[in-house]
Amino acid sequence: MKVLVVDDEQPARDRLRQLLEDMPGYEAIGEAGNGEQAVRLCTELRPDIVLLDIRMPGMDGIEAAHHLNTLESPPAVVFTTAYDEYAIDAFEARAIGYVLKPVRRSRLEGALQHAARVGGSALSEVAEQPGIETRRQHVCARVQDELRLIPIADISHFQADQKYVCVHHDNGEHLIDDSLKSLEKEFGDLFVRIHRAALVAVSRIDRLERTPEGKVRVVLRDDSHDGAKQLIISRRHVAEVRRRLKNV
Amino acid sequence: MTATQESPDQETQAYLPDFCAAGTLFVVVLVAELVAIVLTLAAHDTPGRFLIELSKSSFFILWLVLPGSALLCRFKRRLESSGKTRAFVLSFVLLLAMCLAVAELAWQLTRIFGESLIIEDTHTGFLFRTFAIGSIVIALAMRYLYISSEWRRSIVLEAQSRISALQALIRPHFLFNSMNTIASLTRSDPRQAEEAVEDLSDLLRANLRSPKDRTSLKEEFEIAAIYQRIEKLRLGDRLNIRWDIGDLPMRAAIPSLTIQPLIENAIYHGIELLPDGGEVKVSGKRDGDHLVIAVSNPVANVGRKTDGNKMAMSNIRQRYELAYGSRASVDVDDGADTYTVSLRFPLDEAAI
Repeated sequence: MKVLVVDDEQPARDRLRQLLEDMPGYEAIGEAGNGEQAVRLCTELRPDIVLLDIRMPGMDGIEAAHHLNTLESPPAVVFTTAYDEYAIDAFEARAIGYVLKPVRRSRLEGALQHAARVGGSALSEVAEQPGIETRRQHVCARVQDELRLIPIADISHFQADQKYVCVHHDNGEHLIDDSLKSLEKEFGDLFVRIHRAALVAVSRIDRLERTPEGKVRVVLRDDSHDGAKQLIISRRHVAEVRRRLKNV
Repeated sequence: MTATQESPDQETQAYLPDFCAAGTLFVVVLVAELVAIVLTLAAHDTPGRFLIELSKSSFFILWLVLPGSALLCRFKRRLESSGKTRAFVLSFVLLLAMCLAVAELAWQLTRIFGESLIIEDTHTGFLFRTFAIGSIVIALAMRYLYISSEWRRSIVLEAQSRISALQALIRPHFLFNSMNTIASLTRSDPRQAEEAVEDLSDLLRANLRSPKDRTSLKEEFEIAAIYQRIEKLRLGDRLNIRWDIGDLPMRAAIPSLTIQPLIENAIYHGIELLPDGGEVKVSGKRDGDHLVIAVSNPVANVGRKTDGNKMAMSNIRQRYELAYGSRASVDVDDGADTYTVSLRFPLDEAAI
């Protein structure tokens, strides 16, 4: 079993490595210090199990686990945490593997075995527990076999195609698996729906204008890569868009 | 531990007020006069005789009230030692018995000074009236004292719970992470593990001390330095602390354990959330007869929730308010890039 160790603290990583060395059948194949690194290393090294710290700078463990779950064959995730009442309650309810720090060898062994059996799933429900910071700071696009993380701050709008949602961001466009509905729920304070198939970042809206045909459209700010972009607002969303813009 | 538990108990045992005190006696007399006025107003409608009737009834009521106070003053301790409810019941019975005795005495006196002192009632009627009015008024008074002692007790309890909340300053997150670090070091660097255990013990010991204690700046900064060493093991190069406290008089007093939690907050909410870490600045200066100590940290602006530090901050605020009242202030500057907490409090070098 290949294990990736993710923790922002060197001694904590050392500890897990030490314990893994003593366990036949498990091998630590790499270390990461935060969520982004973990996601990158996972697509590179293809571990079977990821030991994932929850509280990390930048992208935290919960968010990293969500991104890992979008991989075709996601690794099983075992969370490690020092003290995180809410998260532990949530994990317990969903039977997701976790170990408490200081890590006990028998506990780690048990969690690894369990994780290898169950695999990584049921996470989306955990994230809905109160007290867990669920809001992602990235969305995750799968490009062939790699995961590409797109910071929320870089995104100008989401546009739904027939089957996928396309993310338009500062460095191009990518398809993601999330539905427009779930994106709206998660990032509703940053994005506003302008018609059935599009969410626009409120901060990217430059102005509203009326088209010659009498429809209203948003003009996005010019700093996006392909110049000023215009999107039609459907009639039933105009009032809401105006309200949101007024509150900015 | 025993010391902290004993004193509040003694406080709460004082169910009855001190009837020997001048202030209490004044209130007793005042209430007695009010009762006399009420009784006179209710009983007499003959014009012009109000003041005479009032002086008669207040004379009699003072006769009841003053020896009553003397009794409670004399037997206060014995009454209170029998437990709360019993103390009030016993006081009630004692006072009522005394009322009847005084009423009987007054009746006997009317027979001696027949002309000048007249009670317009039969013997049993007079005793019965005294008994009825006495038991109602005494019962009301006892009820009032009972409730106010309950109220005092709840205040004491609240203060106690606040103090124990203040004591719980160490964050479990820190404790378990440190233990994990030590577990890791035990193999890789036993010597450092040993030092970490010693440091952690010192820190825990400082946390277990009574929070009322003030300490010297020197000691307070020593604790903070120990804390820094432990966190440094864990966070490595990500954590830097810059101390700019050379100008502070190290003998000056400060409420103990109020700097370390600020640094803990700075690390927990600032440094730990920054992938590359950052620098916590601790600066201090003298401002006339006040000291100003500020702790600041860089902020990770990723839109994270930061409601976790309210507990520690309100604790520190309370501690300074308890120690210095309005002469101290705790200010928070929640800027876009830095978060700064400034403590300003009177310079007090003699106390420690």
